[in-house]
Amino acid sequence: MTQPSIRLTVNGRIHDVNAAGDTALLYVLRNDLELNGPKYGCGLGECGACTVLIDGLAARSCVIPVSGCVGREILTLEGLGSRHDPDPVQDAFIAEQAAQCGYCLNGMIMTTKALLMRNPKPSEAEALEALRYNLCRCGAHIEIVRAVMRAAGHAAEAD
Amino acid sequence: MAVPGVAENRELRAGSLSVVRPAVSGGAFETFLQITADGSVMAFNGHVDLGTGIQTALGQIVAEELDVSLARVVVVLGDTSRVPNQGPTIASETIQISAVPLRKASAQARHFLLARAAERLELPVEDLSVEDGLIRGHNRSVGYGELIGAEIIRLELADEVQVKATEAYSIVGQSVPRTDLPAKATGELVFVHDVRVPGMLHGRVVRPPYAGVDAGAFVGTSLIAVDETSVRDIPGLVAVVRIGDFVGVIAEREENAVKAAAQLKLSWKPVPTLPDLKDVETALRANPSTPRTLIEKGDVDAALAGAAKPMPRTYIWPYQMHASIGPSCAVADYRDGQVRVWSGTQNPHILRADLALLLRRAEADIDVIRLEAAGCYGRNCADDVSADAVLLSRAVCRPVRVQLTREQEHAWEPKGTAQLMDVKGGLNADGSVAAYDFATRYPSNSAPTLALLLTGAIAPIPVVSEMGDRTAIPPYDYDNLRVVAHDMPPIVRAAWLRGVSALPNTFAHESYIDELATEAGVDPIEYRLRYLRDARAIDLVNAVAERAGWKPRPVRQEPVADGDIVRGRGFAYALYVHSKFPGYSAAWSAWIADVAVNKATGDVSVTRVVAGQDSGLMINPDGVRHQIQGNVIQSTSRALMEEVSFSRNSVASREWGAYPIITFPDIPKIDVLMLPRQDQPPLGVGESASVPSAAAIANAIFDATGVRFRELPFTPERILAGLRGEQPSAPHALPAAAQNPSASPGRWQNPFAVRRGAVATVAALVAAGIGIAAAILPWRSIAPIARPDASVFSAATIERGRQLAALGDCAVCHTVTDGVLNAGGRAIETPFGTIYSTNITPDIETGIGNWSYPAFERAMREGIHRDGRQLYPAFPYTHFAKTTDADLQALYAYLMAQAPVRVDNREAALAFPFNWRPLMAGWNALFHRADAFTPDPAKSAVWNRGAYLVEGLGHCGACHSPRNALGAEKAGAYLAGGFAEGWEAPPLTSLSHAPIPWNEDELFAYLRSGESRFHGVAAGPMAPVVKELADLPDEDIRAMAVYLGSFNEAAIGKPDQDALAARLESLTGTRTASASLAGLRLYEGACAVCHQVGGPPLFGSRPSLALNSNLHATVPDNLIQVILHGIASPVSSDLGYMPGFKDSMSDDQLAELVSYLRGQFAPGKPAWTGIRTAISRIRQGISR
Repeated sequence: MTQPSIRLTVNGRIHDVNAAGDTALLYVLRNDLELNGPKYGCGLGECGACTVLIDGLAARSCVIPVSGCVGREILTLEGLGSRHDPDPVQDAFIAEQAAQCGYCLNGMIMTTKALLMRNPKPSEAEALEALRYNLCRCGAHIEIVRAVMRAAGHAAEAD
Repeated sequence: MAVPGVAENRELRAGSLSVVRPAVSGGAFETFLQITADGSVMAFNGHVDLGTGIQTALGQIVAEELDVSLARVVVVLGDTSRVPNQGPTIASETIQISAVPLRKASAQARHFLLARAAERLELPVEDLSVEDGLIRGHNRSVGYGELIGAEIIRLELADEVQVKATEAYSIVGQSVPRTDLPAKATGELVFVHDVRVPGMLHGRVVRPPYAGVDAGAFVGTSLIAVDETSVRDIPGLVAVVRIGDFVGVIAEREENAVKAAAQLKLSWKPVPTLPDLKDVETALRANPSTPRTLIEKGDVDAALAGAAKPMPRTYIWPYQMHASIGPSCAVADYRDGQVRVWSGTQNPHILRADLALLLRRAEADIDVIRLEAAGCYGRNCADDVSADAVLLSRAVCRPVRVQLTREQEHAWEPKGTAQLMDVKGGLNADGSVAAYDFATRYPSNSAPTLALLLTGAIAPIPVVSEMGDRTAIPPYDYDNLRVVAHDMPPIVRAAWLRGVSALPNTFAHESYIDELATEAGVDPIEYRLRYLRDARAIDLVNAVAERAGWKPRPVRQEPVADGDIVRGRGFAYALYVHSKFPGYSAAWSAWIADVAVNKATGDVSVTRVVAGQDSGLMINPDGVRHQIQGNVIQSTSRALMEEVSFSRNSVASREWGAYPIITFPDIPKIDVLMLPRQDQPPLGVGESASVPSAAAIANAIFDATGVRFRELPFTPERILAGLRGEQPSAPHALPAAAQNPSASPGRWQNPFAVRRGAVATVAALVAAGIGIAAAILPWRSIAPIARPDASVFSAATIERGRQLAALGDCAVCHTVTDGVLNAGGRAIETPFGTIYSTNITPDIETGIGNWSYPAFERAMREGIHRDGRQLYPAFPYTHFAKTTDADLQALYAYLMAQAPVRVDNREAALAFPFNWRPLMAGWNALFHRADAFTPDPAKSAVWNRGAYLVEGLGHCGACHSPRNALGAEKAGAYLAGGFAEGWEAPPLTSLSHAPIPWNEDELFAYLRSGESRFHGVAAGPMAPVVKELADLPDEDIRAMAVYLGSFNEAAIGKPDQDALAARLESLTGTRTASASLAGLRLYEGACAVCHQVGGPPLFGSRPSLALNSNLHATVPDNLIQVILHGIASPVSSDLGYMPGFKDSMSDDQLAELVSYLRGQFAPGKPAWTGIRTAISRIRQGISR
């Protein structure tokens, strides 16, 4: 079926995507743009595994249709940094070994990024609240909070 | 494109040294280790990394024995064509058991290469040393690769190999960073979910209604029919596959597979009723079982008969889930010669055997390539989805990726079973243990791969497996001891989950000995030490007690309460014994848990855990620490809040609100104590620290409250009941969901619709009489004209008409979803039948192209078609009649200036006598006054402008005014609230239920942007209305706001609104005593992320429920509508989107949630009645 393409700006690049407007952003990022960062977790915005940043705000890409993303800046885990040039948040998560299976990791990192963008020096209590709605099943919470504190420049206090 | 498992690694390079053994099942050899001529090392292990970091630890073992750097070692896990068959990754045995041959293989290779180097360098082996694969001696050196050269060397794995002494370790025993995390933190291809194969299609499965049940004659035999026409309109649909009860859909694009799966119509036989699993104890006692005595020592019966204080006790464990964060996924590529499956399986070789059985092909034809998946703690749906993908790929001979939904994973994953533990025992007069007679019931097996059952490849007979015996023998040396496992089949689909039966068994053992100590008046740790013989256990218990600063307490002291909070501390210990009985043990573990219990709310929080562990040699101590912390957190979550809920025939917990897991703010402080035992063999650490959890927490709650809790989870309800001294009793089953066969969800409903029933019938008869009388008038057709040329209208007139069309919402009714603008065809349901909106494009034959202006005007003012037929008042001509001539002319100009589109109109499908249009003449005689708008000279010009817009083309009253039994707006109740399309159109007057009265500014904000901070966002049928209003200038919106605002006599200014909002939000920010706790959990899991006041910002708006008009309404309809269907098309994307929960929550759950929301956020309003009825009605798309 032919349909008008949808223009998205993802990680600073423009993409014209042939998808229906009601397609969840998550599917377009994963299938059309072949990005691995955002993960399907629940499809209901409950768990946070699919988190990306839209115009600098954390967004649950499983419940946002691509039609709502036109003209906005979308940032995914890949756009944050790479293995060789990681973002300080990615760096902090690697340094603190802040994952077990790592499936929730994308959401944890992107939510932390959003937190630090609005509050560069969060307290531990603020970090816990910021991550309240991101689920981790393996129990990597302690390492994750340490990573947030490290990314916020609290590395010295973290130990 | 890089596809895992098909990479270049696969081909044998020239020159290599392999350590192999003859294959267990077919094939020639299984390889453990391969060193290539370039000096790189590949290590192969049959287990997989479930997120615990064993890939890194195995690399350390190989690097150590080979004397190479860790960076040089690549560890390959779980690819059936490459790795040895070492069984499933279970029982924490990778390091303890399956690493042993790998370690030996590495040592063997090193010995071989050293011997060869000695020969080459003409030096004795003793004079050689190795550093990162370079062998040195007397200033000469040779590398491993060089020693191998072009030769293909194959060593058969020897049984006896001298391995390194642990004292010599320099890599093993050191904490090293996990090798997998940089890729995971930067979005590289890691997970099976990330696999993309050229030409890959997307599949979804549709599971049977007996969700989560896998045994019984109905399994695989319940599907009656598949209606493939129901998905014919899905773009890019490739196939619908049905084999027995297995159903799948395949599409080119994933979102279309999702749509097809949701839309596919299936008919199923009725689903049998399950035993009532809200009463686990009764269900498990009634389940047939075979006793198996595991140990019998002393004379238990005599000791029990002679006990001074008999203490019979029963402990109950609930059904729980793995609850993997990522639902399972797999990709399969079925070709004639070879079947390739990319899978997240826990047991690649067993899966391969299952697939061979399913496909009736040889195992050698199947290659299972294992990639990482979301953490799983036993058997989840990873194998199921692999088989699903294979079946779908076979059907289309193309690669297919299948992603299970959250709901499918929750419902169908093999559960960690409920378990029932009975203890007969007691004390002798001297306080010693008289006897311990333990019986355990564990209804679980290995959960056969689902596709085998659904397709009928294997019979759905519940196999009994003997797995209830894990750690069933207590660790204490009781003189009179009997342990019996009552082996039984599963009741619902179940398999092993972290800690298997050992965790529940230990909950009983460790709670019971605490009860004994209390009764004996002895400190609980002291009492345990009297019966503990294992020296390492004793060391661990003492070390943990010391670390935590345990104060001996022979007698429980009532704690000093801090307000409603009481605190307590509990101990528990376990040596996790697993695998086939008698099995063997993993690491030792002991907990001291501190809890705080709120006696008013029943909330328990675990504030601190000291977790001690003796793991033997720790390969990667940081990895062990992370495993301990992970186990503490996960098992705390299981003990406090986790319990699968069931309807009468399936699993009811299908999303995170219905199965909450612990979140960041509730994580305890954890103090990990790792005993240094680097000289002892390594032990499994993947589960041990979970095992003492529940008992330690239960013992701490007892310390805090003096009440014993013998059933999990320790929810507020259970704690409050316990504190009130209530005996635990099975909660009453909620009534089964009412089945309504005539469901037609999502059907559009019209404001014209009135309540069915006697009133409507009588009214209809009256109308019929009037109609017949009125119909005697001659029909009057207005002659057709040639379509007016658009150029006769000025651009300004057309533009004005465009705005008026938007105000009148013409396109909302006259356009079908995704259809051509204004070409009609939208179904409008009425109690009298279905009407279809008509084509109002200027097409001559099917539209209004041949309508003269007088014909158009008559239709708008009198409800009469050009040809003289009466129109039904679903078309709001009663409002449109107020429009000025100039505006109607502009609207006519606009419509005529559009492109004609030929779309035939559909006949209304109305029952007699309503299909007789002349009836409407009578209706008009009764209810319609075709008078023009008359301004009120007492009011301002802007007010009058607003009144004209609202009462006329805006036709607000069509929805927002109540209607009489004949569907006419009630006189004297203008804008007093009505119903439209299954939604309540709330009162716009002072009758409004909004907690903060509407005022002009908020009305303006709402009509302009779709959101008012003090009321909420436009949803349902109001969203398209506000969208259309975007075409109107601010002055017109302001005028409407002024007019509508004038109906709100209680309106207050902004500062007062802010103050009131703050007060309401603060008032509702704490839990009300009467709130439904099940509803609260649903809210916290599903709603709070976007609605909690002050929660972390997310894209989109954050509507405050305390201020939301719908929570304060007299009926729950709008709240139910929005929860069921979400907001997919908001007024603007800035407002964000809301998912619908109709496929994720049951009617019972929705009712709990709706009751909770009402009670919590509208505390001053009476509870809603008839919530269940409303949910059922709205699901079926029936109007009030």
